[in-house]
Amino acid sequence: MGDVILTMKGIDKSFPGVHALDHVDLEIKKGEVHALMGENGAGKSTLMKVLTGIYSKDEGTITYEGKEVEFSNPREAQDAGIVIVHQELNMLGHLTVAQNIFIGREIMNGKLIDDKRMNEEARKLFDQLGIDIDPKETMSRLTVGKQQMCEIAKAISHEAKVIVFDEPSAALTEAEIEELFKIIRDLRDKQLGIVYISHRMDEIKVITDRVTVMRDGGYVGTLITKDCTKDDIINMMVGRVIYEDPKTESAVAKDAPVVLKVEHLNAGRMVRDVSFELRKGEILGFSGLMGAGRTETARALFGADPKESGDVYVNGQKVEIKTPQDAVKCGIGYLSEDRKRYGIVVAKTVAENSTMASLENYMKGLFIDKKKECQVAQEYVETLKTKTPGVDQLVVNLSGGNQQKVVIAKWLVRNCDILIFDEPTRGIDVGAKSEIYQLMNELVAEGKSIIMISSEMTEILRMSDRIVVMCEGRKTGELDIAEATQERIMHAATLRD
Amino acid sequence: MEKIKQNAIVKKIGFNSLVLLCVMILLYIMFAVLTPMIKTNASFVSYARLVSALKYAYFLGFLSLGVTFVIATGGIDFSIGPVMFCAALISGYQLTSRGWPLAVCILICILVGTAFGLFNGVLVSYAGLPSFITSMASMMLAKGLGSVFTKTQPVSWPQSEEPGGWYRNLVGIKAGGMEIPTGLILLIIGAIICAIILNKTMAGRYILCIGSNREAVRLSGVNTKKWETLAYVICGTLAGMAALFYVGKNTTVLPGLGDTMNNEAIAGCVMGGTSMTGGVASIGGTLIGVLIIALLQEGIMAMGFQIHYQYIITGLIVLVVVWADLRSRRRRN
Amino acid sequence: MTDKKQGNAFTNNPIVRAVGVQKIVVVIVLIALVLFFCVKSTSFRQYTTILSIMDYTYYLAFLGMGVTFCLITGGVDLSIGTGMFCYALIGGYLINQKHAPVIVGILVTILCGLIMGTINGLIVSKGGHAPFLATLCTMMIARGLGSIITGGASITWPVAGSPNGWTRTLFKIDMGGTKLPLGFLWVLILAVVMSIFLNKTRPGRYIIAIGSNKEATRLSGINVPVYQTLAYVISGFFTGLAALAYSSAFQSMTPGGGGGIELNAIGGAIIGGTSMNGGSGTIAGTILGVFIMSVLQAGLPLINIQANWQQIIIGVVLIVAVYIDVLKNKKLA
Repeated sequence: MGDVILTMKGIDKSFPGVHALDHVDLEIKKGEVHALMGENGAGKSTLMKVLTGIYSKDEGTITYEGKEVEFSNPREAQDAGIVIVHQELNMLGHLTVAQNIFIGREIMNGKLIDDKRMNEEARKLFDQLGIDIDPKETMSRLTVGKQQMCEIAKAISHEAKVIVFDEPSAALTEAEIEELFKIIRDLRDKQLGIVYISHRMDEIKVITDRVTVMRDGGYVGTLITKDCTKDDIINMMVGRVIYEDPKTESAVAKDAPVVLKVEHLNAGRMVRDVSFELRKGEILGFSGLMGAGRTETARALFGADPKESGDVYVNGQKVEIKTPQDAVKCGIGYLSEDRKRYGIVVAKTVAENSTMASLENYMKGLFIDKKKECQVAQEYVETLKTKTPGVDQLVVNLSGGNQQKVVIAKWLVRNCDILIFDEPTRGIDVGAKSEIYQLMNELVAEGKSIIMISSEMTEILRMSDRIVVMCEGRKTGELDIAEATQERIMHAATLRD
Repeated sequence: MEKIKQNAIVKKIGFNSLVLLCVMILLYIMFAVLTPMIKTNASFVSYARLVSALKYAYFLGFLSLGVTFVIATGGIDFSIGPVMFCAALISGYQLTSRGWPLAVCILICILVGTAFGLFNGVLVSYAGLPSFITSMASMMLAKGLGSVFTKTQPVSWPQSEEPGGWYRNLVGIKAGGMEIPTGLILLIIGAIICAIILNKTMAGRYILCIGSNREAVRLSGVNTKKWETLAYVICGTLAGMAALFYVGKNTTVLPGLGDTMNNEAIAGCVMGGTSMTGGVASIGGTLIGVLIIALLQEGIMAMGFQIHYQYIITGLIVLVVVWADLRSRRRRN
Repeated sequence: MTDKKQGNAFTNNPIVRAVGVQKIVVVIVLIALVLFFCVKSTSFRQYTTILSIMDYTYYLAFLGMGVTFCLITGGVDLSIGTGMFCYALIGGYLINQKHAPVIVGILVTILCGLIMGTINGLIVSKGGHAPFLATLCTMMIARGLGSIITGGASITWPVAGSPNGWTRTLFKIDMGGTKLPLGFLWVLILAVVMSIFLNKTRPGRYIIAIGSNKEATRLSGINVPVYQTLAYVISGFFTGLAALAYSSAFQSMTPGGGGGIELNAIGGAIIGGTSMNGGSGTIAGTILGVFIMSVLQAGLPLINIQANWQQIIIGVVLIVAVYIDVLKNKKLA
């Protein structure tokens, strides 16, 4: 490791209602691979966005190559030599690899683009990195891993001095990760500063020199990787005081009937051979890190996305769920993590949204019985304590928590017995959060069963009777609440095969 | 705060229609003043002109009401004009050349429209083709089929006094020198039925919601493909009905025409406050929009200008109205 | 996961990949089509048939080349068919009625195309209108404009042999009694030039990039509206050229005509492998696709299939081509 190239000190950033970064420090040296770790929502991405000028900081200083800097957009940061290799790829699928790498700064031969030289330059770049990719290949024909390599090559061709890898390995195969590590080591040997964001504990041990851990928007500490153990890091990541009491034992009787049984569910890369059971009156927590395949599992189960194989049993009966219609007929309701896109029709009223899934029960002959519709909507506005001036209010005018209650009302009006809550409290303020928790407890007390997908550890520990942990599309653990701890969940969530 | 907002929205809906009504009245006054100035010995203010304008509005109105449903889902139908002509040609040919009973021919006329609607709907919602290109292709099909059927000959529906001329009563009944505009009554009844379908039935509810957020509706367990197809079927059926009012006004139908009618119908629709992005539709607005278009074309004719000015004005109207809609939407976000 | 992206032995063959599977299929279909017509019709087997196919090819190829650029950005230009008539009418009107020099007529024709293309481009890129709607409106405007300027009269450009008839020899030259399709040379030259422009210059590259991923293109520091507008300007320019080709190959043009021709050109481009989703397309493919259209147009009358059936056939061809495109994109996703 060499001199310090980049220092971020006391970085503070608030969004309305959220203190996203609380005086965070980060120091990157030349020739080091520096891991940035933390749970979902710990503030890693926000910190990197502040670094590259996508967000402006409220407080703190960034010192780069001895000078204090402040970038106002990613382009400026890029020109200065700080480049991010994004998780989502910014590629132009129809163009070739070389054309992608040089987009916006093509090598010209007079008035014409010199594709031949661009190919040669790209080839040189790949040789330098030791990657075998044909620069003339169309981008969309490459595997995700190779596309990632191209992004890296593009970053390096900008003569970067600091490269940020934002979860680069999430989509890579074992062999590709090996290749990636080789490149990263090469870059390190060339005295570049590298920030490596990842959830994979074993990778951190292999590739990084130091680890900075963040938690809840704050800085926890920096460790030398070779001097610490996996458990040390996990403890730093989860070592928060839990204000809400976690559940200590399951409230579900041992002999409660199984209402939903899923066997060997497969759907693409993100859902591989997932099996689980849900009992009557149970809250089954689904835990895991970002990209573990929990939402994908829920969507495949619900028929929102096509599944490849797998059997689903509802109340012991085998059912064929191909579309959301089938799922709803089986009494399954799904509350999406992305309310605005998948949950509600924002330009319609509370009443219209409430009866969306069960309109046929609110008909008088050919016509919608608006009186009955408003009645039932009003009833659920009262039970769920939805704050709205009336049931004829447009949903767009409600707050996040109240919008969520409208989605819940939709499924309760439909009288669904199995509810899938996907990140039920995301983007919802604290008060509304505990209301939703209370509501979920009331629902299971009434005999409904809930699958709760959550990225918040406290939420999982507080609400679940049983916890399924997923990692990269596989179920890697199943814990009874009595035996569950943050550490055990995190262990399972980072368990790769 | 919430209450004021709600009030403002209510006001705005009323406001839009109010403005449109004012535009319509102003347009009438403008034509009344300008016509004698531009063309000597011509007058715009007469019962005959009014009836002529209204007759134009009848068939255009039915087209426009239909396409309102499709636009509400976020799609578009460019085939309605030619489909109307196709329906009039096929059924008219059966009536005049084959001597089929009028009632059967009227049914055929409407069913031809329904069939085209179903065709478009299935291709758009089940096969996933873009609606504009699908409906343009079926526009070609409608034009071709219509003229294949009549062997490229025009079809003249019977006059009122001839046998089978009863259909003309749909447009107007002559009673003691005055003509009772039955077409207007039927158009208003049609509009009321459309408004009921759109606002009071399951179909209308889902059609509007699909236009607003298709994925959320699908994930509520609703068969979105079925309801989207239905919107096109309604649109096609109304185009078939429009054909009856077209022959009621014009008697003779030429093969291979009708694409200008699409644009006028769509213009009437978007002017009335239906959003091209889907989810928002107003039947009342469509009705007033159509009346304005009909008035425009009558005024242009009365002043002795070519009908082609109408095309330019219609094009500009759609551009401006849609642009205003996009802007207000962007500002709200 | 890796094997999903691999094709079979045929599609992975380097020659096949360089030319493109779709183009090979199109060539085979084209040959089959020509053979079919040759067998069915004796009159098809004559030299004049080539000339007649060429007459259809010129204007369709120009329109197709232009609209390919719009399609590659992920948009479309529906104004090209009507626009072509409008510009040819304006140019012809200047030559015939205003006795302007032919060269002025030609320049005005092309200038009209450029202006309309610029307007289309700005409405789409700056106004944020959906391309199909924006260009539909300008199609209406073009339709009206052509008619208004010529006063509703049909226009025929000076015929071959007349003092001003040299425009016709630009496309069909008389060499000692044999007529040679000179226009094909221009089509070929322009196809090569535009191919180079699309694949070897920055504007061409950015037009592809916009269609592939607009946001990523913007983030690469490229001025998206400029290049998006450029695509429509190119389309407008080629519509001007097509107007020239059309008026040189055919007799009279009626005002307000040309509707539907855009679908032939767009159909040709899609058959040639240009995607409605944007990002991919080749000039060579478009020329091949257009050939299918022009062989159909020249051949169908010779086997006694009349214009009305042609519309139906072209409508069906269009739907099939778009459906193949939809399936292709589904497979990629």
